[in-house]
Amino acid sequence: MELYWQQLPQQLVNGLTLGGVYALIAIGYTMVYGILGMLNFAHGEVYMIGGFTGWWVLHLLTRNNEILMNAALVIALMLIIAMGVSGLVGIMAERLAYRPLRNAPRMNLLLSALGVSIFLQNLILTYQGAKVRTFHIASLIPESFRVFHIGSTVFSFMRTLVIAVTFLLMALLTILIKKTKVGKAMRATAQDIEAAAFMGVDVDRIVVLVFLIGSALGGAAGTLVGLLFTQVDYYVGFQAGLKGFTAAVLGGIGSIYGAMLGGILLGLTESLAVTFLPAAYKDVVAFVILITVLIVRPWGLVGERIPEKV
Amino acid sequence: MNEPSRSISLPHANPLTGRPANRLLVFAVVAAVLAIAPLSMPNNYWLRIYSMTGIWVMLALGLNVVAGFAGLLDLAYVAFFGIGAYIFALLSSSQFDLHLPFVLVLPMAAFITMGIGIGLGATSIRLKGDYLAIVTLAFAQIFKLLLLNLDTPINITGGVNGIFGFDPINIFGLRIVSPVAYAYLIWLCALTVTGGSFRLKRSRIGRGWEAIREDELAAEAMGVNTTWMKLMAFAGGACIAGAAGALFASFQDSVFPNNFDFPQLVIVYCMVILGGLGNITGVILGAVILSILPEFLREYGAYRMMSYGLILIVLMALRPQGLMGEFGFRRKTQKRPDKDETGRLRASTDLYYDGQAPAATKRYVKGARIMLELQNITQDFGGLKAVDNLSLTLYEKEILSIIGPNGAGKTTLFNLISGIYPPTSGSIYFEGADITGLKPHQIVRAGIARTFQNLRLFSQMSVLDNAKVGQFCRTQAGPLAVLFHLPRHQKEEAQTEEIAKEALGLFGARLTGYRFAQQAVFLSYANRRRIEIARAMATDAKVLLLDEPSAGMNPQETAEITEFIRRLRDAFGYTLLLIEHKLNVVRTISDRVIALDSGVKIAEGRYEEVAGSEQVIEAYLGRKKGR
Repeated sequence: MELYWQQLPQQLVNGLTLGGVYALIAIGYTMVYGILGMLNFAHGEVYMIGGFTGWWVLHLLTRNNEILMNAALVIALMLIIAMGVSGLVGIMAERLAYRPLRNAPRMNLLLSALGVSIFLQNLILTYQGAKVRTFHIASLIPESFRVFHIGSTVFSFMRTLVIAVTFLLMALLTILIKKTKVGKAMRATAQDIEAAAFMGVDVDRIVVLVFLIGSALGGAAGTLVGLLFTQVDYYVGFQAGLKGFTAAVLGGIGSIYGAMLGGILLGLTESLAVTFLPAAYKDVVAFVILITVLIVRPWGLVGERIPEKV
Repeated sequence: MNEPSRSISLPHANPLTGRPANRLLVFAVVAAVLAIAPLSMPNNYWLRIYSMTGIWVMLALGLNVVAGFAGLLDLAYVAFFGIGAYIFALLSSSQFDLHLPFVLVLPMAAFITMGIGIGLGATSIRLKGDYLAIVTLAFAQIFKLLLLNLDTPINITGGVNGIFGFDPINIFGLRIVSPVAYAYLIWLCALTVTGGSFRLKRSRIGRGWEAIREDELAAEAMGVNTTWMKLMAFAGGACIAGAAGALFASFQDSVFPNNFDFPQLVIVYCMVILGGLGNITGVILGAVILSILPEFLREYGAYRMMSYGLILIVLMALRPQGLMGEFGFRRKTQKRPDKDETGRLRASTDLYYDGQAPAATKRYVKGARIMLELQNITQDFGGLKAVDNLSLTLYEKEILSIIGPNGAGKTTLFNLISGIYPPTSGSIYFEGADITGLKPHQIVRAGIARTFQNLRLFSQMSVLDNAKVGQFCRTQAGPLAVLFHLPRHQKEEAQTEEIAKEALGLFGARLTGYRFAQQAVFLSYANRRRIEIARAMATDAKVLLLDEPSAGMNPQETAEITEFIRRLRDAFGYTLLLIEHKLNVVRTISDRVIALDSGVKIAEGRYEEVAGSEQVIEAYLGRKKGR
């Protein structure tokens, strides 16, 4: 127990990093759910593609373990291109697989999303192979800069970066939704897609925008995790997708702030639980939380309980 | 005049069951093919594929029960397959030195898996659609983690290395070791599952599942015990998957965690969806195609899973009902005849049932006995009182209408009586018994049935099946009775058919004859309203709650339905509570009228009294100026 208290600050930092990433993924789920009422099964794959894009950009900009330009610029490029590619994938999935089913039963939509997920996963498997790709971040950050200590707690540069980027993106999203005209249109569409359309909102454009933003954030999360844990393979999207979904549900699906809160809570819980559990069962924690929340309080922590309309 | 019974019976044999001669022929062909196929395979490689196809068929049919019939997106399905396989592996190998005989292990695998399926179902049954999918997916992940990690501290599952080397199958001295013997055994099991699927589908159980798939709330409100039925679907699917798992383990002579992973799940789903959810022949076809097709596409191996993904997307967009969706082998669609048996031209707006409805032998009038009593009912939606301290008495064989402006709480009142919302406070009595807080299906069984304001039919089911669902709560046949066609089931089926046809027959040619086999969704709005009433009548209810029965009908149809509602009481002795906006309908038929505004009763009495009440006028038209 003594040891546990000593480790606590460290675990909190780790949890916050992980939680920020989960929150980014969860936002993508929750935004799409809020507007279309669908569970975008393929979101985990979008995250995975973001991770691969980040790796690929880094790979292109590295020669003989030396990066070709300023490290900050490289990281920025990785994030921006990953967000762009992921966003594009998200939009294409919406256009080709989901839009034709806008008025179909929900089950069809879900199965179509499952199809997109399988397709993307195996697309990457086919062209990238099953092997794990490693981010060579050694060249990115000088040795002296890599970790610093505050008390006994170790802060790595990457963790700090991930936390900073995550919170910056979440702040930008909040401003977009609260303060801009497009944000207002998005909120209106989430409330009632038909009414919004009648009031002159171009609903199709809003849906595309939501997929773009959600997928871009997912892509950013993919690259950030790549920088953090230095690895990506074709299968990471599956787990990450489930975690992101858990976070979204924990906070209350459909609510963006719920997703942020849920993500951070999930990250903290996971990293605190790891100290007690064998590492092999780490993922079970998230699933148990997911199952419990869905059964006990399916509307989540901050979501509102809405009775079914008869 | 033609006889009433003739106009409502089908001219040919029921298209759903097919004519006996055809069925025998089908059976003979299937038996012959299955007998010859294993012997005519070119080599052992193809014989293996043939046997694996049988296992896939079983698996797909099992999933078809959960996802196809009941519409539950169970993504833990592949875990049940794995559980069955591992049960066999543990009980019939040297892992724990248990060498139980196959005749014992196969049922054990099926039933233990079924138990686990029920357990999983019980925890997640309240979740709908996507949520259920995700929770079951999480369960499947936990299962896989357990398989991979339960080799320490004590070795149970063998971890990544799995378990191998099982006892040869020995069925009472008959040893199954050769590939041909396996092929026969597996396909015999597949055939059994197929037969069982067909019997389930054409029973009250199958109809209950389909009703849940189409509209869960309406199913519950029509007397289907949805919780129980969903558990049964989980159990059925798990049972079949468990048996398939045991067969698979024995056939492969080894089990690995990788055999029961996400790709397998996707493949089974593709099979079921390709064939068409719920369509048994389609699902079998889907399983066969997707088992054999990859063999011809060997050189494109890498693209296999990718193409499964594409199949799902394309099918959902272009043909969500699957390959066999609309053109089943045997569905004979009957054309609408333009003349009836007497040579009279049919027109949909004719008052068609005149002269055809059973003659009113007895004329019922309002009685003195209290049928339904509400005492101080309040429904509070988080501060908004949709119904506020309302009391109401409904006498036997009375027609009581509820009027009031939009948002007055009329439909909420119906939802309270039919058990969809439990009231915040107050009590409801039906024939003297307290029914407060009962589930909707229990209230239907007690004798209160309802219709919905915005139609909630089981759209993809036939008109006749819609009405048959009404009889669900009056029948009891369980899975055993259905699977073995026990006399009780047969008797109940005959009774259900009779009552359903009788209820639909009251609406004349609009809902009978060729219409029986039509999907409800294809009928006109007014006709769908009529089906809802027939469906409610088929529950053998004493009290009918009709929510705006004349909405969406033209003046002639309105007059007709008004007359029909009156006849429901006069000729059949129903007690009726109705919500209606058309005041001339209310005036014509009501014994009494209650006016609601903002959840409060503002007037009660005969139509003229209520209509003349100042409060009612105010509620509809607003206050006069200066008051």
